[in-house]
Amino acid sequence: MGLLRSSLSNLRTSPRLLAVPPYISLLCMLGGIIWILLLPLDEYSRRTYISENALLPGQVHTYFHGTEQNIFRAYYHEVADVLEVQTKTAEDGSQQYMKATPAHRNERIRSIFHNSGIKTASQSYKYNVGGQELHGENVYGIVHAPRGDGTESIVIVAPIENFEKQLNTNGVTLLLTLARYFSRWSLWSKDIILLVTPDTSAGPQAWIDAYLSQHNPETVSSLTLKSGAIQGVIVIDYPFRHLFHELHISYDGINGQLPNLDLINTAISISSSQCGIPTLLQSQHRYAKPEHQHHYLNRLKVLGHGMRNQAIGHSTGAHSVFMPYHIDAITLTAIGQGREDEMAFGRVVESLTRSINNLLEKFHQSFFFYLLLQNTRFVSIGTYLPSAMAVGAGFTVMAIYLWLKSGYEQREQGKEQITKPTERDDGSQDKIERALADPNITNEQLLKQPSAGGVDRVKTKVWKSVDRHIALPAALLAILYLTSLVPMAILVTAEHETLLTRTGALCTVIIMVPVGLSFILADNTYLVDTNILFGPSTAAISANGVPKDLPEVGLITTDSSPPLDPSTRLTQFHAILKALSLLVLGLQITVLATLNFSLSMFLGVLCSPLAFTGYYPSSPLRARASLISIVLFNPFVITNFAIMGAKLAGYYDDSFGMKEVLRQWLEAVSFGWSVWGAWGVPVGVFCVWLPAWIVAAIGVMSSFIADEDGTIKNKVEKVKEDMKGGVQKVQKAAVRDSSQVRKRKK
Amino acid sequence: MVLQQKSIFLFVVAAALRLAVFYLFPHITSVLSEQAEIATPVSSYKRLLEGLFLYERGVSPYDGGVYHQAPLLLVVFEFLPPAAVFTLLDMLIAYNIATIAERLALPSPRFRKLDGGQLAIAYLFNPFTILSCLGHSTTAFTNAAITQAIASASTGDAFGTMFAAALGSYFSLYPALLLPPLILLWAQTKKVQLQLQSIVAPAAVFVGTLVLLLSVSALLVGNLWDVLISCYGAQITVTDLTPNIGLWWYFFIEIFDAFRNFFIGVFWIHLIGYVGALTIRLPEQPLFVISSLIGLITVFKPYPGISDVSLYLGLLPLYKHIMPLTRYTFVAASVLLYATLLGPAFYHIWIYAGSGNANFFYAITLVWSLGLSMLVGDSLFAVLRDEWEMLRPEMRGKDVRQI
Repeated sequence: MGLLRSSLSNLRTSPRLLAVPPYISLLCMLGGIIWILLLPLDEYSRRTYISENALLPGQVHTYFHGTEQNIFRAYYHEVADVLEVQTKTAEDGSQQYMKATPAHRNERIRSIFHNSGIKTASQSYKYNVGGQELHGENVYGIVHAPRGDGTESIVIVAPIENFEKQLNTNGVTLLLTLARYFSRWSLWSKDIILLVTPDTSAGPQAWIDAYLSQHNPETVSSLTLKSGAIQGVIVIDYPFRHLFHELHISYDGINGQLPNLDLINTAISISSSQCGIPTLLQSQHRYAKPEHQHHYLNRLKVLGHGMRNQAIGHSTGAHSVFMPYHIDAITLTAIGQGREDEMAFGRVVESLTRSINNLLEKFHQSFFFYLLLQNTRFVSIGTYLPSAMAVGAGFTVMAIYLWLKSGYEQREQGKEQITKPTERDDGSQDKIERALADPNITNEQLLKQPSAGGVDRVKTKVWKSVDRHIALPAALLAILYLTSLVPMAILVTAEHETLLTRTGALCTVIIMVPVGLSFILADNTYLVDTNILFGPSTAAISANGVPKDLPEVGLITTDSSPPLDPSTRLTQFHAILKALSLLVLGLQITVLATLNFSLSMFLGVLCSPLAFTGYYPSSPLRARASLISIVLFNPFVITNFAIMGAKLAGYYDDSFGMKEVLRQWLEAVSFGWSVWGAWGVPVGVFCVWLPAWIVAAIGVMSSFIADEDGTIKNKVEKVKEDMKGGVQKVQKAAVRDSSQVRKRKK
Repeated sequence: MVLQQKSIFLFVVAAALRLAVFYLFPHITSVLSEQAEIATPVSSYKRLLEGLFLYERGVSPYDGGVYHQAPLLLVVFEFLPPAAVFTLLDMLIAYNIATIAERLALPSPRFRKLDGGQLAIAYLFNPFTILSCLGHSTTAFTNAAITQAIASASTGDAFGTMFAAALGSYFSLYPALLLPPLILLWAQTKKVQLQLQSIVAPAAVFVGTLVLLLSVSALLVGNLWDVLISCYGAQITVTDLTPNIGLWWYFFIEIFDAFRNFFIGVFWIHLIGYVGALTIRLPEQPLFVISSLIGLITVFKPYPGISDVSLYLGLLPLYKHIMPLTRYTFVAASVLLYATLLGPAFYHIWIYAGSGNANFFYAITLVWSLGLSMLVGDSLFAVLRDEWEMLRPEMRGKDVRQI
């Protein structure tokens, strides 16, 4: 036992151990990425299942057919009349295009509701985003449940314009037909709210805000008609006239929140089993055969698309805005050319509404954290979370490593006894290195070995613990994190016309920051001055977690250390700054992983090269590699790559230039921030990525500046020479140097 | 003068920072005073406002069962602006810490004279302190009383010590547990031999102050029994199980009613047990006993908040000379850091997003308590090691193994 303990404590202080952490960190990050890539395999995912017994999907007969179709056709004409552009031939033979005003349109929809005996109300709203005003009016009706007490409700939504800005005439008509149909049934135990919104983004948001009285009464009017707590939301989207083939289910909410998996499973099960309509997820509707869904790459595509949506955290349909209020919602979209008509769509909605109507309590049984791979397979949080945690741990490991390193300095022992350092016997140095590599030789033996050999007393490299000067790096880091809020505030509040110019200006300023800071920091006098300001007692934080005084074994000695020479001081400063920054980054990635897994994963991967860059003034190769990685992995360059990728993937046609796409994205971020409260992208970029990048860039720039700017490098050389004269001289040199620098400045 | 010019400047900066935030973001208090980490049932400013509302209308503030704090606080906030009160309290606590630090002299060879200003600044700029000040946690009153008692004890002022301790006990009961080490600290400063006669007068001051405060309270509320039951009874029997960062609420939500009283007794005995144990084991270092007790009470009391932690973290640097002897401070600090950020995240997932449940938050409060107890245990180890090295100087820096 004693032997084990002593070998363990020897191991703890072995210098070889210090070389390991970067590899562990790299392993963590690669492991995290590989983990994600493994998820689509059958071994790591599970089949979906209905967890809540009360749902009973597909156990009821659906009666939405026959005569209802005639009513649908009649309504269609009435609705198309006010929704679609009407062509009219004037008396002189010229064509006139007319579109009903929103007020007229809403009046028509309300009158249809009214004729079915449904209470209706409307709500107007107005949003001001980036200098542009967005206004509209929602119309809704409430079917009161004959068997309910009005404490619970189900919402069915049909946006007039769907997410792709197509006119959803069929959807609105279906909603009105269903409203009439539902109001004649006596079995409802929950009120049914039928909502028609002008769009998918602002309208539903205004409505749900007002429904829960969370709205700003100055811009969004209050609801005059309300019902109970909303148990589920179904959005109907049927943006064409012809028969459809499949139903597409969208489920991503604002800020990456997801609806309960039971709701999605119920919809899929009803659609595919009861009604025989295939279902698809995440815009993947190009399977040649249904079984292609099982292929690894197709699953990976669904996974990747889902993670992208979750990370961006923007609306993917009218259902998204309900999620932040913990209301489970999905959008059903008709896609493809096939043999299913609007009645089949109606039956799916009917059956789904009946299932939700059966609920005894809110959706809670099944998962809220999951990644779907295809309509019948998913990965649960326990399986996918370790990947983001591993990436976060990678940063933390590097932070601990740099922290430990910053507390020690390699010094050569036995300097006083030796006449000239140049007389060092290289052979014995080799011997020591060999001994270091040999695990059988303990540290104590190692120290004794040279003198026992009877040769010249050898200088051994010894790790000495030194005081950590933490005040300046900590303060700099705090300032960086606080000031990174400024560009975020500028971008999300900017007028849309000025967005591009502001972004350009911000890029320039932000890129200048690390360069400027590294010039300032390369001048050691600042480091010395802060020491005077904060006093040497900041060393109280030194040796955290490391036995500084306790077991005096092996290569770590614990003499109270003399003041650091300036170059060591600069190295230590960069190590501590980087350590603290990586610690915070690891923390942020971990915390984000619990709130929005995909965002945390993307940020983790994008920041991962930053963990390995650093201040390498003596190693040009590493410095250059670091420079390349900070140039490649900064928010602006990656955004450009992303735009190019999006264009290549066909999301934008050639008529959109890079700038145009960027402007659209920035507008979307600004809109998401002010209307939906979508914080993911701005916070991720400006509070997580940017500060970490700036710190990394400071380190990398400094290693070049110390090289190119001769003064700094020469100074270090000179101080090293002075070191031979003893510690006192070093101090004097530092003081002299600093005064010289001051003079030079004057 | 305890403070140097530089420290005074930083004091002003700290005060200005608080007042500026109050002025620039007037809504911050209402946001922060809803956070479970800042506002507990016995320190919540929102509950105090509720009590104040009732009190100003001539109704007993304890009607409605929301308010569980001392009645004198109502008088304070009836007349004074809260922003100024909480800023001043922070300044007072910081000043007291500076006084304690300047007075501290320990026989350990590692000990160096402390700069009180630095410790005060460290307290004032601690994010926990700032957040609990912005969130108007009324624990600040207790903290001020405790630090005042320690400061008086370390200047040898028996009357001041006992008065402040009584005031602290009046606010939130548990400072009474600090009496034994406080008396030891006073005796050590005055270099008097502790005898029964020498304690009688201080004890009388303590009891007298307490009686005085309680009778004033009874006059204010009109009914002493109401005060005792709603204020102290609620603190002892843990009737309000609103989630907080402590270990009690979840346990007593889950427990069967038949065992409730038994386990409340067990929990309290466990907490009180540390007083005797630490005081007897470390009679030479009463100040360390006090700060460790504050740390332990923060972990094990029914309604802890980050304000209590900020006091502990403010007092811990008094013993910074033992830092080289500690072993797990980096781990403990990381654990605390992770818990600090994950706590609000899990609370959000549980309460607002609805995608998590109570276990998420409770798990992270367990981690938080683990981090704090690691800090307490580690510093205790270091102090014992330091003491042992003073007894046996030849063992300094040697690895010790139990044979």
